[in-house]
Amino acid sequence: MPPSGGVQIDSAAAAGLDALDTPPDQPRRPLARRLAATALPPLAALVLAIGVWQALWASALWPEYRLPAPLAVWRVIWGLGSDGEAAGILWTSVHRAVLGFAAAVLIATPLGLLVAKAPVVRAAIGPLLSGLQSLPSVAWVPAAVLWFGLTDWAMYTVVLLGSVPSVANGLVAGIDQIPPILPRVGKVLGAGRLAAARHILMPAALPGYLAGLKQGWAFSWRSLMAAELIATSPQLGLGLGTFLDNGRALSDMPMVLAAIFLILLVGIGIELLVFRPVERYVLRTRGLSGSLP
Amino acid sequence: MTATLEPLPTTAAPVRPAVELTGVGKVFGRRRGAVVALDGVDLRVAPGEFVCLLGASGCGKSTLLNLIAGLDEPSTGTVSVGSRRPAVMFQEAALMPWLTAARNVELALRLAGVGRTRRRAKAEELLELVRLGGQGDRRPHELSGGMRQRVALARSLASTIGADAGPGLLLMDEPFAALDAITRDLLQGELLRVWRGTGAAVLFVTHDVREAVRLGQRVVLLSSRPGRVVQEWATEPDAPLVEQINARLRRELSSHAA
Repeated sequence: MPPSGGVQIDSAAAAGLDALDTPPDQPRRPLARRLAATALPPLAALVLAIGVWQALWASALWPEYRLPAPLAVWRVIWGLGSDGEAAGILWTSVHRAVLGFAAAVLIATPLGLLVAKAPVVRAAIGPLLSGLQSLPSVAWVPAAVLWFGLTDWAMYTVVLLGSVPSVANGLVAGIDQIPPILPRVGKVLGAGRLAAARHILMPAALPGYLAGLKQGWAFSWRSLMAAELIATSPQLGLGLGTFLDNGRALSDMPMVLAAIFLILLVGIGIELLVFRPVERYVLRTRGLSGSLP
Repeated sequence: MTATLEPLPTTAAPVRPAVELTGVGKVFGRRRGAVVALDGVDLRVAPGEFVCLLGASGCGKSTLLNLIAGLDEPSTGTVSVGSRRPAVMFQEAALMPWLTAARNVELALRLAGVGRTRRRAKAEELLELVRLGGQGDRRPHELSGGMRQRVALARSLASTIGADAGPGLLLMDEPFAALDAITRDLLQGELLRVWRGTGAAVLFVTHDVREAVRLGQRVVLLSSRPGRVVQEWATEPDAPLVEQINARLRRELSSHAA
């Protein structure tokens, strides 16, 4: 028999052990310092790069049409921004990429689930799906143009075909990396196939799925730019890729560089504003944020 | 041969055992590569009884538990379980890392068909039972190993709720094996307390003789490859010195309580 008062001592002992054992809370640095730590290094790198560029331009090693001054490029961007043309160009391209990407997610998610959970399907199209990732999606442009003509639909198709393999493969990888104990827990808790997919499989695969989405978006954006460069036509409207191609046709180097900067800006902007915060949240709630700044 | 009479049942209605295995065998693989994991295992666990299943590696302890949990089918013999959905605890806490402690318990309640309004209150009640009241909104990685295992205990108890009204069955597969000795000792005490409080039958798999003797009312020893029941013992209360030392250790630990 335990000594008298055992229950109270037990309770206090458990509380004491909990207090000793619990991982200490990581004190979060103040917002201003965190912002400084994440924003300052890339800003400094940018300033340095522009400085080098300016110096190279000033040394006049290359003619102006090959290496324009940073200021000339800035003027093109500023001009586009001030008369509202930039908004139109960006909108044309971004909405194509977003629509194509959204359709890709809708197709790739059930496809990924099927490949991950149905061995026959995996054997049949798994290798193809991985192989498609290495196919440059520009290769789809001629086919898309022949199918849909020079329309927005051709653009959506290229974007979609470019990102479906990444998203589906990301989901498959996410599901493959789930510790086998979690589905077993689902089973002993009495979860059926659908409930298990909804409550265990999908949330457990979320980090891999997110990585796939991120890569899929990057591929979407890249393939759209390639498609806009190749398939140019007045009825297609002026996207970023077309703008870039116009710059080439006019031998206007500042315009070409401005287009490249804008393409890069959208890519980085979506990554920083959409994917980075979601990824951080997902990893932090799972205690996987060790490598995050 | 001497014929012995079965003792007459004391109650009018015969009580259905929490677990009854008769002649259970399990073979993995076929023909030459086949491994006999279990062979002719007979085991009966009465409602509310605490039975420890003891054996070295490869004795099929976990296989046996999987059969009772319904995760696997026996090759021969029959498995009958009194409660429809036994609670299962593994060596790892295996909490869903994206859910808070309370949500983990609520997930089990949800899968057991408990309505939304009752879930929250019931989850808090169960966390209270394992002395984690008020800690429900912490995430698994913010908890210590012992606390995680207690959340897992609360979750496994939750899975029995709503399944049936009768006293449940807890299947535990070396649940404390990965914990440090002090935490393990405390959790053993906690488990005994919860067991006495809920009246559930417990089938506890372990490879630790001391743990088996401390926890079980009955210790069943299994042989290895193939797993067969070798011997059974009814246990006696702990040696007094162990209790004394433990009591002193706990007093020491309790001074750290916030």
